[in-house]
Amino acid sequence: METKVDQTLDCKGLSCPMPMMKLAKAVKGLKSGEVLEMLGTDPGTKSDLPRWCNKTGNTLLDESELSGGVSRFLIQKK
Amino acid sequence: MSEKSKETGVLGQLFKTFFAKHWPVLVGGIVLGTLNILLFAIKSPWGASGGINNFGENVYRLIGVFGLENSTHLSASFYGMLCLFLVIGSFIGALLSKEFAIRIPPKGELIKGFIGGGLMALGATFGIGCTIGAFFSGMPAMSGGAIIFTIGLFLGVIIALKYLMWEMEKFPGFSTGKSYIFLAGTGKSGNWQKWAGWAALIITFIIAYQYSGGNKIMTWFIIIGMLMGLISQRSRFCIVKAFRDPFMTGEADGSVGVMAGLFIGLFGFTIIKYFGIGMGDIALRTREMTWVFPHFFFRAAIGGLIFGLGMTIAGGCAVGTLWRVGEGQVKLWASALGFLIISPISKLFIVPPIVAAIPQSWDFKNYLPDYLGYAGAFALITLIILIWYVFVKWNEKTGKFSAY
Repeated sequence: METKVDQTLDCKGLSCPMPMMKLAKAVKGLKSGEVLEMLGTDPGTKSDLPRWCNKTGNTLLDESELSGGVSRFLIQKK
Repeated sequence: MSEKSKETGVLGQLFKTFFAKHWPVLVGGIVLGTLNILLFAIKSPWGASGGINNFGENVYRLIGVFGLENSTHLSASFYGMLCLFLVIGSFIGALLSKEFAIRIPPKGELIKGFIGGGLMALGATFGIGCTIGAFFSGMPAMSGGAIIFTIGLFLGVIIALKYLMWEMEKFPGFSTGKSYIFLAGTGKSGNWQKWAGWAALIITFIIAYQYSGGNKIMTWFIIIGMLMGLISQRSRFCIVKAFRDPFMTGEADGSVGVMAGLFIGLFGFTIIKYFGIGMGDIALRTREMTWVFPHFFFRAAIGGLIFGLGMTIAGGCAVGTLWRVGEGQVKLWASALGFLIISPISKLFIVPPIVAAIPQSWDFKNYLPDYLGYAGAFALITLIILIWYVFVKWNEKTGKFSAY
């Protein structure tokens, strides 16, 4: 089942720390329960993002690999 | 994520242990600390800014400017080759885990990469060392200057992080825009990356072997450099992260990994210095003073501050830049370029007049055991690491100093 996405954040091509900074800012702007789709290509995000969700209490709903080296994350705000 | 996996053999599982997922940064720190001890046992500890400076000197020699005809050729420079193979090692690590891709960021990021690299070059040439030479190796070498350099780094990182957050609020367009990704290794069609990785690994060993006749030290610098790059890439070992993340997301893992490497290094370096291991023909005093630079306190303070600014804007210190170059992050290509272009210019024309103007008592070699004895110096460095540990852990829980 496809999750409803409220906002998409494009971090393709960006290196650490920009993806995590932009993500933190974007999630701040969401309402509780809303879902953010993040697209990124920095391998570091794959370990940083789950850890950050764990720490902040937001939920990482899904993580998948799209073609062309792009990772897609769905994050639901606490 | 879930590729249909056939029954994996023992070797396949071993491969997956190393290349399926990122390693905990703690493991990376411990192994890098150990390799650092080995480098010291063979010759002298890990350093990075000197190697990148050597890249720059070689470029200027080829162009024929600045009278650098007598500079060391890259192929004969221990630290130049260490840095080169660090890039190659990271390239190998990224290929074997199919994480390699040429990632071209929006233009503003490239500019920041270049400026960050240039600032790091200024900081490293003035401060005599970078986050590796004057911190990751300098602290274990029990150099008083390294402690000052580290304080400078912290201030630089905090200021630059404030800038990055300000930029993101006021000028979000600077880090947004068209980006391009090439040669990514997603899916079955990306399996060429594994083969390329194995090929690069074999070539590295062949090159290392070719040195073994006349220059055994170089053989090991090549192999250890390659391993350092591979391990940094797999564990995302990043000194910028260690300094920055407590003030950003509040994460402490990156910092703890670096602390582990520092402490292991301290243990090994103390033994090497105390017993004069690997002295060869030199005096014990010379061995003791290895990686204790004449920068206590002024050059270390200012150099550390400028380097801290640069590495935070670039998103990687000298080593963090090199291994990200290897996995194809083009922002860090810009950073490496800025570093290697500015470094020789700074060393030749900017640093000497400033150094001539400051009194000698501001810049001397401060070897902590001269003042505190070996036990005292060891205890002091351990205490500093411990205080840092308590701070990041406490901050992780309370978020007192974190921005997000």
